[in-house]
Amino acid sequence: MKISYNWIREYVDLDADVYRASEALTMSGTQVEEILPQTVPREVICARVTEVRPHPNADKLLVCTVDTGKETLQVVCGAPNTKAGMMSAFAPVGCDLGGGMLVKKAKIRGEESFGVLLSERELGLTDDHTGIMEFDCETHPGDVLVDALDLTDWVIDLNVTPNRGDCLSVIGIARELSALFRTNLKRPVFTIQEDPEPIESKLSVEILSPEGCPRYSARFLKDIAIAKSPFWMRRRLFQSGVRAISNVVDITNYVMLEYGQPLHAFDSTLIAGGGIVVQKAHEGQTFVTLDSIQRFLRKEDLLICDTTKPVALAGVMGGENSEVLETTKSVVLESAFFDPKGIQRTSKGLNLSTEASYRFERGIDPQVQVDAANRAAWLMSEYAHARVLSGVIDVNAFTYPCREITLRKAYLEKVLGIRDTRTEDVNSIFTSLGCEVKGVDAGWLIAVPAFRHDLCREIDLVEEFIRIYGMDMVEADLPTFKPRKLTFEETQINGLRVSLSAMGLTEVVTYSFISPRWKVFFASEALELLNPISDEMKIMRTSLIPGLAGVVERNKKLQNRDLSIFEIGRCFIPRTGDKLPEERYRLGVAMSGQRFDPHWSEKGRQADFYDLKGVAETLLGGVELKPSNHPCYKAGFQADILLDDAVAGTIGCLHPDLLKMIDVSDDVTVLELSLDAILLRKWQGLSEIMKFPSTWRDLSLVVDEKVSYQDILKTIHALRIHEIRQVSPVDLYAGEKLPAGKKGITIRITYQSGSRTLEDATISAWQDQIVKSLEKDSGIQLRQ
Amino acid sequence: MEKQLEDLKTAFCEDLDHIRKPEEIELLRIQYLGRKGRLTSILRQMGTLSAEERPRMGALSNTLKTFLEGSLEEKTRSFSTEAPVSGIDVTLPGRVLRRGSIHVINQVMAEVEGIFHNLGFATATGPEVEDDYHNFEALNLPENHPARDMQATFYFPEGTLLRTHTSPVQIRVMESTELPVRIISPGKVYRCDFDISHSPMFHQVEGLWVEEGISFAHLKGVLYEFIHTLFGPDIPLRFRASFFPFTEPSAEVDMGCIICKGKGCRVCGNSGWLEILGCGMVDPEVYRFVGIDPEKVTGFAFGLGIERVAMLKYGIDDIRLFFENDLRFLSQFSTKGMP
Repeated sequence: MKISYNWIREYVDLDADVYRASEALTMSGTQVEEILPQTVPREVICARVTEVRPHPNADKLLVCTVDTGKETLQVVCGAPNTKAGMMSAFAPVGCDLGGGMLVKKAKIRGEESFGVLLSERELGLTDDHTGIMEFDCETHPGDVLVDALDLTDWVIDLNVTPNRGDCLSVIGIARELSALFRTNLKRPVFTIQEDPEPIESKLSVEILSPEGCPRYSARFLKDIAIAKSPFWMRRRLFQSGVRAISNVVDITNYVMLEYGQPLHAFDSTLIAGGGIVVQKAHEGQTFVTLDSIQRFLRKEDLLICDTTKPVALAGVMGGENSEVLETTKSVVLESAFFDPKGIQRTSKGLNLSTEASYRFERGIDPQVQVDAANRAAWLMSEYAHARVLSGVIDVNAFTYPCREITLRKAYLEKVLGIRDTRTEDVNSIFTSLGCEVKGVDAGWLIAVPAFRHDLCREIDLVEEFIRIYGMDMVEADLPTFKPRKLTFEETQINGLRVSLSAMGLTEVVTYSFISPRWKVFFASEALELLNPISDEMKIMRTSLIPGLAGVVERNKKLQNRDLSIFEIGRCFIPRTGDKLPEERYRLGVAMSGQRFDPHWSEKGRQADFYDLKGVAETLLGGVELKPSNHPCYKAGFQADILLDDAVAGTIGCLHPDLLKMIDVSDDVTVLELSLDAILLRKWQGLSEIMKFPSTWRDLSLVVDEKVSYQDILKTIHALRIHEIRQVSPVDLYAGEKLPAGKKGITIRITYQSGSRTLEDATISAWQDQIVKSLEKDSGIQLRQ
Repeated sequence: MEKQLEDLKTAFCEDLDHIRKPEEIELLRIQYLGRKGRLTSILRQMGTLSAEERPRMGALSNTLKTFLEGSLEEKTRSFSTEAPVSGIDVTLPGRVLRRGSIHVINQVMAEVEGIFHNLGFATATGPEVEDDYHNFEALNLPENHPARDMQATFYFPEGTLLRTHTSPVQIRVMESTELPVRIISPGKVYRCDFDISHSPMFHQVEGLWVEEGISFAHLKGVLYEFIHTLFGPDIPLRFRASFFPFTEPSAEVDMGCIICKGKGCRVCGNSGWLEILGCGMVDPEVYRFVGIDPEKVTGFAFGLGIERVAMLKYGIDDIRLFFENDLRFLSQFSTKGMP
């Protein structure tokens, strides 16, 4: 909310400048986001246009003679309202109007011009650019404009929190400042001269829906002359970002900003039967609002009707059918209280938020309706020549219980951690906020004003006290506590990140929502967002692979060719019988391009399946891989990772179709593991270091292509030779020297005993046994 | 004799400078220190000196002798350290192991968690896909409440949503554990905003301490400790009253701008202050939802955005960089020498 600082100062005695006042507001919960100083260069003066003649070479331009009080200058001007004798704003040659506008001596179509006559918009005062400025107060040639019109001001932009509807007005902010600086709040002072004709002769009001509209007040004004509002009012509206329309409409907006009470003016001739009826709409009813849009209403929406038709969407926007126009002569002025929840529903339902609905939703003062209507009526009598019919219609079903809340001193001090609260502080703070304070045994009994909808409980008063007293007054105190040992899980994930980055992997973090284009590669069901940022960020991931592949895609485009990346994050698996999905924490790893940086001593190598398997083995120890058939991986180059016979993850080279989709020509190999599988691996305890020497023997085998290394291992382990410490493949070959359909493999078996030095003969016997078994189980031959 | 010793030293230094080969060193040694050497011949005159002068000259000549021996030794060493004739080219690059890196967000997250762990907080986690009850209602944010507009929410057709803060974890913890509660809840959160300073996914750490006797003063104490550990011991803080539906009193915490030291700059919008945390005393209404008696205990809660901390700490000006995953960005946060 933007408001003029001078306007606020009309209602509070304040010595503080705008900066101190803003600081205080900010610290007390109403943040001032910006202070915009408003002024006009002092070179700009009031000047009289003494003579106007047509420009000899241009139809739309005029050549004026301008009296600046010191000299008489020729000025070329194009404004249609220019006339001899008028006073206006004048900037002489050399005046810097800001924004790159420096006034220079000019020759316009052959006529010299020694300065500029200015419009309100050119001076940044309003958005009026219909002509040069005209004054509605007395000025003299040579007067400095900024002084003559008292233009020095500041606009403060306030961020009012949703609980503080009462601060959405000039008086509301003035009240805050009066509490913060402990000075007096002032009220607008005016006296209405009423016409003898009573309002009842022209208007009746009936509320059929008191829960939606507990209070409806109205005034009736006649003999109105619609015109432009006075400059000062238009400027303040402009400062608040409200467009000036006409005196009547501007006054309703002005009073809304001042009191926080939204007002609406109807052209009374368009209110059929002179009767206002407040009632609910019926489902599907249509209504055209002021902005010429047809609205489809629901039965909970509240309407202001005359005796035949709706004329306004209550609390949100008026109707096109009863709008105040230039021809309007009399108006019905509405000042009502609408139920916040009802306005919230209507505003949300129609997706229509206005200055009025914004205030009603947050709760306005239920006691200010008549005051605000009177204020507007008075302004209309002053600035729109209106005659005010006598009396106010005030249908008031509001039963507002006086809220008296006890604030216990002990509670206040317990919550805030302060001591020795002084009664005079409590008194002055709450009194200046509009409360009444009575001392009681344990503390204070505080009666809260009706406009403070947010003060209902003792804790609300605690907050109220400290935000005015100052949070800085509470001395920081570190509570005592016992140190705590970190849990296993707390240390594990970061440890895992350290390990992975030490393996040369870079961690990425990708969005949890992905593009639907990945769907074909992942069979599983997935959650879809109703309101995604874009279609590309719509599906909740069921795997980390799309995110990783997306990172490869992007980086290859950025010419980052060699990638070794990982991500730790959750995947979202829908489940039946529970609205919330299962969230599985996973590790994903992807590699593409060179595994290691090139070096002069050796040829580089592309990352492949076994690099990824190596990562899995480094993290998990021994794993078992079972060939799989997932659509995201290339056939024959993929497997499920089994851990204790359960699938703990998958590994494979990305499918060629997927690579094509992401426009990547290199292979991309990926590993995805359940994080539980990794974190649950616990230390097995200390084992004894063997004292006796170990011996190894190699076996060069010729193996059928279909036989896997795993088959060989199984056969060897089935012999249960406990002295075998390790079996590892040391060479793998294929080629012409071998029969078709065969491959060669050399395995190294390491033997060691915990109780003796092994003899050659013993080992040879075991070797023979192994060779025999391999031949028997898989037809494996020793290579000759 | 003193003059003789001095001349000898000068001559020796000159000769030493002219030596080009190691074998010449021995010749020089014999020439000066040998049995028939120049020093020996001077020392022979000792007998001719008076009893008073003799000790002084003895000391002088001893010093000289030590100097000569030392210089010769040094010269010998200088020859032995010169490069051998053949060997490896030690200037070729070594085999560097490519360094990976932990994502900067997770590094900051770990640092923040670490500070709170040291302050006795335990980590608690909860689901990222939440129900309305835990994300809003139990946090005193009823449906249609204007305060809900403060957090643009992603919804699923099932009525569930992506959590907009990690506060639902606090509710889940208070529902299921005994008091006192002293936890932080780190994790991903989601809001429907996307521009240079808003990401639809970002990270938060929230904290909650509920126990008998916990006050706003304690909240201040913990947050001072936290900010001073994270950003430096002299950073000023200010607690600005604010509004959150789940805390009362509520405050925003600003810290003195670490870029301009409070003088005013582009980063702090010339205010000298940077918004860093939201916090407050847990609203009694929240206790009601989880069945805790607000007369018995009090507590505080706070929350901060990790991206914001990372951006301030490392001078990053576009939040989207964190999730674009350009390796040229990420690899700058390899752990080597990071602050």
